[in-house]
Amino acid sequence: MAPQTPAVVMDNGTGYSKLGFAGNDSPSFVFPTAIATKGPAAGSGGSGSGRPAVANKPSFLTGGAGPSGHLSAKRGTEDLDFFIGDEALSAAAGPGYGIHYPIRHGQIENWDHMERFWSNSIFKYLRVEPEDHYFLLTEPPLNPPENRENTAEIMFESFNCSGLYIAVQAVLALAASWTSTKVTDRSLTGTVIDSGEGVTHVIPVAEGYVIGSSIKSIPIAGRDITYFVQQLLRDRGEPDSSLKTAERIKEKECYVCPDIVKEFARFDADREQFRKFHVADPVAGRKGVTVDVGYERFLAPEIFFNPEIYSSDFLTPLPNIVDTVIQSSPIDVRRGLYKNIVLSGGSTLYKSFGRRLQRDIRHLVEERIRASEARSGGAKSGGLEVQVVEHKRQRHGPWFGGSLLGQTPEFRSYCHTKAEYEEVGPSIVRRFALLGGPGST
Amino acid sequence: MLLLDYQNVLIESLLKDRFSGATPTSIDQVVSDFDGVTFHISTPETKTKLLISISVRCFNELVQYGAQQVLEREYGPYIVSPEQGYDFSVAVDLENLPAEEDARNDLIRRISLLKRNAMAAPFEQAFDEFAKLQEEASKYTSESAPQGVREGGVVRAIHYREEEAIYVKANYDRVTVIFSTIFREETDRIFGKVFLQEFVDARRRAIQNAPQVLFRNDPPLELEGVPGLAQSGSGEIGYITFVLFPRHISMQRREEVISHIQTFRDYFHYHIKASKAYIHSRMRRRTADFLQVLRRARPENEEKERKTATGRTFRVQG
Repeated sequence: MAPQTPAVVMDNGTGYSKLGFAGNDSPSFVFPTAIATKGPAAGSGGSGSGRPAVANKPSFLTGGAGPSGHLSAKRGTEDLDFFIGDEALSAAAGPGYGIHYPIRHGQIENWDHMERFWSNSIFKYLRVEPEDHYFLLTEPPLNPPENRENTAEIMFESFNCSGLYIAVQAVLALAASWTSTKVTDRSLTGTVIDSGEGVTHVIPVAEGYVIGSSIKSIPIAGRDITYFVQQLLRDRGEPDSSLKTAERIKEKECYVCPDIVKEFARFDADREQFRKFHVADPVAGRKGVTVDVGYERFLAPEIFFNPEIYSSDFLTPLPNIVDTVIQSSPIDVRRGLYKNIVLSGGSTLYKSFGRRLQRDIRHLVEERIRASEARSGGAKSGGLEVQVVEHKRQRHGPWFGGSLLGQTPEFRSYCHTKAEYEEVGPSIVRRFALLGGPGST
Repeated sequence: MLLLDYQNVLIESLLKDRFSGATPTSIDQVVSDFDGVTFHISTPETKTKLLISISVRCFNELVQYGAQQVLEREYGPYIVSPEQGYDFSVAVDLENLPAEEDARNDLIRRISLLKRNAMAAPFEQAFDEFAKLQEEASKYTSESAPQGVREGGVVRAIHYREEEAIYVKANYDRVTVIFSTIFREETDRIFGKVFLQEFVDARRRAIQNAPQVLFRNDPPLELEGVPGLAQSGSGEIGYITFVLFPRHISMQRREEVISHIQTFRDYFHYHIKASKAYIHSRMRRRTADFLQVLRRARPENEEKERKTATGRTFRVQG
């Protein structure tokens, strides 16, 4: 074994999996967390739970012939006939394969699929031998310990990986923010706003520990912004209003404005602000169409700040949620939480997103301070610092944080090794020493 | 996925990306491959100059068996002096690519096969030696063959992992490739044994042309006198012997055979793990079945607590 093989960092999210080696500045592979297997897609019987469909009779009564499509009824190499990632999407487009998403809401739902997904990620894409490498995996906040144990069982018993560390995504996102120039002390206290494709979480973290009771999630995230853009395109009757076009427009043209009313006026005064977006025709040779892009440039990300323009049942703006989350956290860490609000995930990449958020939260805080000063009759508050940290690694924040911590020389001492696992059993992974915590770096 | 790819998928996709005319970006990544091979992909000077370096554990041994020539043949003009800490480097200038599509794809393929090509040298050398010995031997009958011809060539040892090695030996009628493997895990050893048995049986059953595969726990006779052989006390170490006959190492088959045999160990371990995953998935399913049975099971006449009007409770006797 080479003296120091780089640790493998795997961040499996609901939408995308980020795989790579510690020490690199970007993941080697980013592909959808999807697996295509022979047979029809799940969802017909298994529905939301994503568990394997259970036969009406146990298999020993039916002579081993359970519901068709399940592995145990098969002999041969069918279990190896599957694809993951982008290949899975293209395989599922054709006949014969069904697509499955083993992770739902950040948590692993189907362990059979996940195990095969991992085996293919390790052997086909990363091309490493698990025996030679330490692994750093991520988990969502409030992941049940049983899930951790299952993960450890697969990692140690199927793959024999030499060491394992499971970190909470939010904590890694905080570590990733250390690259920002605004961050001076490498503390693990802060509020993480993690907005991906499916859901947005606001997670307070104190000294590396997630304050579980205060986590709030918002049902508005990347997908909703795409739908919103698509809706606007449809309303105007644009020649192309497919989801893909909407997504591209969202990624390319959208930004956050300081004030919508002024922004409308600015657009009306200056026609330059309206953009044309060219959609290439998928059929080569034909000319594509051009789509006009108008107010949605600033309206789309605005649904974080004024959700009423998009949804009718969720109406609390993001800044208020962040404020509530911090206010519901223990009083002694609130100052730290306000001072270090870290963005992570693809839907926080809009231009000026951080600035707007910081301003709005600051308004809320200052208002409260003024009110309490007035009530106290003359007492002066020392003020409260609100700072939103934007940095370059936001998109793959948790992965980058993992890469950063995984390359530190002491990383291995924080891992549980295979020997320790065999000594104690799966319950060993219920606790991990805090990586990157006080005194380690 | 029955077989593993020979090329490094990351390098392949990176190069494809960059060759297709996308705006060049800087990159600095250290990635691993099987058998402790490390790649370093970087753009040290400008964004258009891509430097790919490889470090192999046993590079010194490989050079001894002619790796330098093989690599020069494959990469000729792209070779640059090895980067600090690595064994071999190639540099590609994105502004100076071959014009034709095919030539570009060929370059991508060749660079992504860097590891394979580096490891191919001893095999190629052995196959050449085999050809020579065969020619030599055709002059004699089996009894009258002189000393050197009958015994065959030297054993080429490639210590590609810390405790495991490949041995290649050419004879006048065959080339023998021996893998020494080590299994730390009891379960893996059993899986491995079952798996290897399939290899041995394959020849007996359907595929008569397959190379002969032997598996044993003590060093085979071919390796007699090779220094540094681990003696297998506890059965942890196994020796897997592939006997390649002339039909396997004909000129047109050669490339394929070398690629296959190199990935053998990874293939072997991959399948052990895949089998485990398969068994786990059956175990999970069976558990779900049993849970279902348990959930359905109810005692037939449940004992009810009865109450009188005043609220006193009593049990029904017997």
